[in-house]
Amino acid sequence: MLGKEDIHILKGINLDIEQGEMVALLGPSGSGKSTFLNVLGGLVPPTSGEIKIRDYLISEMTENELCLFRREHLGFIFQSYNLISTMTAMENVALALTFAGVKKEIRRERAKEALEVVGLVDRMGHKPSELSGGQQQRVSIARALVNHPEIILADEPTGNLDSKTSADIMEMITRLNREENQTFVIVTHDPDTTKYCTKVIHMQDGLIERSVNQ
Amino acid sequence: MNKQELLRLSWENLWRMKFRTILTIIGVVIGTSSIIVMVSIGNGAQKSITDELSGVGSVTTLQVYQDLSSMGMSAVSGGKQKDKVILNDDAIKDMKKIDGVVAVTPVVSLNGGEIELNRDQYGVSLMGIDYGVLKDMRYETTSGKKPGANDDNSVILGKEALTSFTLTGISAQPEASTINMEDLIGQNVNLIVKRTNAAGEEEIRSQKLKVAGILESTGGNEDYSIIADYQLVTELNEWQTGVKSNVKKNGYAEALATVEDSSVVNSVTSEIEAMKFTVFSMQQILDSMGSVFQMLQILLGGIGGVALLVACIGIVNTMTMSIYERTKEIGIMKVIGASISDIRNMFITESTMIGLIGGIVGIIISIALSLLINLIAGFFIGGEGSVTISYITPGLVIFALVFSALVGMLSGVRPAIKAANLSSLDAIRSE
Ligand SMILES: Nc1ncnc2c1ncn2[C@@H]1O[C@H](COP(=O)(O)OP(=O)(O)OP(=O)(O)O)[C@@H](O)[C@H]1O
Ligand SMILES: [Mg+2]
Repeated sequence: MLGKEDIHILKGINLDIEQGEMVALLGPSGSGKSTFLNVLGGLVPPTSGEIKIRDYLISEMTENELCLFRREHLGFIFQSYNLISTMTAMENVALALTFAGVKKEIRRERAKEALEVVGLVDRMGHKPSELSGGQQQRVSIARALVNHPEIILADEPTGNLDSKTSADIMEMITRLNREENQTFVIVTHDPDTTKYCTKVIHMQDGLIERSVNQ
Repeated sequence: MNKQELLRLSWENLWRMKFRTILTIIGVVIGTSSIIVMVSIGNGAQKSITDELSGVGSVTTLQVYQDLSSMGMSAVSGGKQKDKVILNDDAIKDMKKIDGVVAVTPVVSLNGGEIELNRDQYGVSLMGIDYGVLKDMRYETTSGKKPGANDDNSVILGKEALTSFTLTGISAQPEASTINMEDLIGQNVNLIVKRTNAAGEEEIRSQKLKVAGILESTGGNEDYSIIADYQLVTELNEWQTGVKSNVKKNGYAEALATVEDSSVVNSVTSEIEAMKFTVFSMQQILDSMGSVFQMLQILLGGIGGVALLVACIGIVNTMTMSIYERTKEIGIMKVIGASISDIRNMFITESTMIGLIGGIVGIIISIALSLLINLIAGFFIGGEGSVTISYITPGLVIFALVFSALVGMLSGVRPAIKAANLSSLDAIRSE
């Protein structure tokens, strides 16, 4: 479904996710986990099929509508953090609010709140290069949270972190999931991660192999 | 994203790549300042020449001649005199009635006169005007006073009337005068007019003239003449040529009309032209010179424009480079909620800022350069007062500012569209 020759990466996925669920997407490399997540977030349009979040039909939205939608309803967390290297932690978090047109003072306040949630207030003036991988990932989580989106899509959020830090991050995510009733869809390689989740979906060759509620 | 945020973000983005931004701005600075300096030199040339020409008197004085074409016509049509308009006393009387005209005088001239002072001979020409209206004309004296209506033998010396002489008896090079004309005021000088009679003998007539004053420079022929009453000049002319002048039939060669102020010059000109006379005024010369200077400015501005075009390419280059460098960042911004227009506006704002900053700095530098050029020119040309080679008008400053900002903005359009259309996913994946 990407590229010129229409390689079908996802080949027929039928899935419902409820509000407040914490879903793990598990599967071997190349099975289409990231692609599926990106399709969910509207970063890649599906060649066919429907994606519906609440009443919004993602698969039919224009690029601009998708931008607005992401701004209000979605948060993204990436394996490689994707922070802007020239901005401080605070600025990175606040940037998402800038585009949403939030006033400066409110922006600072809310960015600080989000950094508090991930326990990084004391590092808010630092640039990404001055932070550890775990800290960077926490900044990116704070950035995903700052808009209070209903859904957070995370692509291997702990992929670059050691097991201790991974556990910290996952615990934090779990806490947010419970406290804020935010829906999480987390792509992972790591079976340990799945134990924090309410639903585990196993993918294989662009198909859902099985889906387990736990 | 609101405007203030857009400005702040773009500003910060620019200063994150300081070095390149500054280099690009320097390009714009060079472009704008070369336009401004070039055009200012055109302006300066125009200003100094028009200032020179528009001395108080000369703009409000019209020179009137018999219409050359009508004279030609009458010759061809066998001299039908009634078709011909003649610049005689009746015509002068009619001109006086035109609204805005203060004084009209015939001009009668005499060439080849000589004045002997300290045994040196000065070749002079006389310009005869009607002393009856002299008081209303824009001829001012720097010293002495204007002769009154009845001071028939009084004259005013033009500023340069006695600047060169030839030694008596030797037809050598003219030499610079050593006479201080002020000393002549109130004195009598002897004007010598010569003619050759029927028998081939030279006759000499000597005429006493009383110097009443010295004429303030008009920038015209008057500066090199001696102003006298036209009746005296006519009489001397008749003696020299041996022919009685018939003004009624042949008219005067020239008349001068003095008008109230420069605002009526054009209307009076067209009324006199309607009487079928030919009119010359400084105003016409200034008008036609204006278009010459406009051409000069366009030419010089064009040279500066090339520099700005290069700067423009520099901006496009910088902004395009910036996209490649910031691809990932653009992707991130799009993923966290920047809309297409946010990204596009951000890039356009950045390039507009480059243009605007370049424009402002360019203006400051041009003003400094302009002062410097005038200073250096003043140093080399010398002379009293300041020299205007380069002249920056407020309009030029505003034009430069708007133009440089516009150039910045337009240069940014393509890169901005390109940035805004990047696929967020591809962008975020790029390194
Ligand atoms: N832009 C693209 N163009 C063409 N094919 C692509 C593109 N992106 C991914 N693919 C292909 O789609 C398939 C699924 O890729 P995807 O990144 O979704 O796998 P993944 O499950 O996330 O793997 P990993 O666990 O290694 O991240 C792969 O075979 C990959 O080669
Ligand atoms: Mg992946």
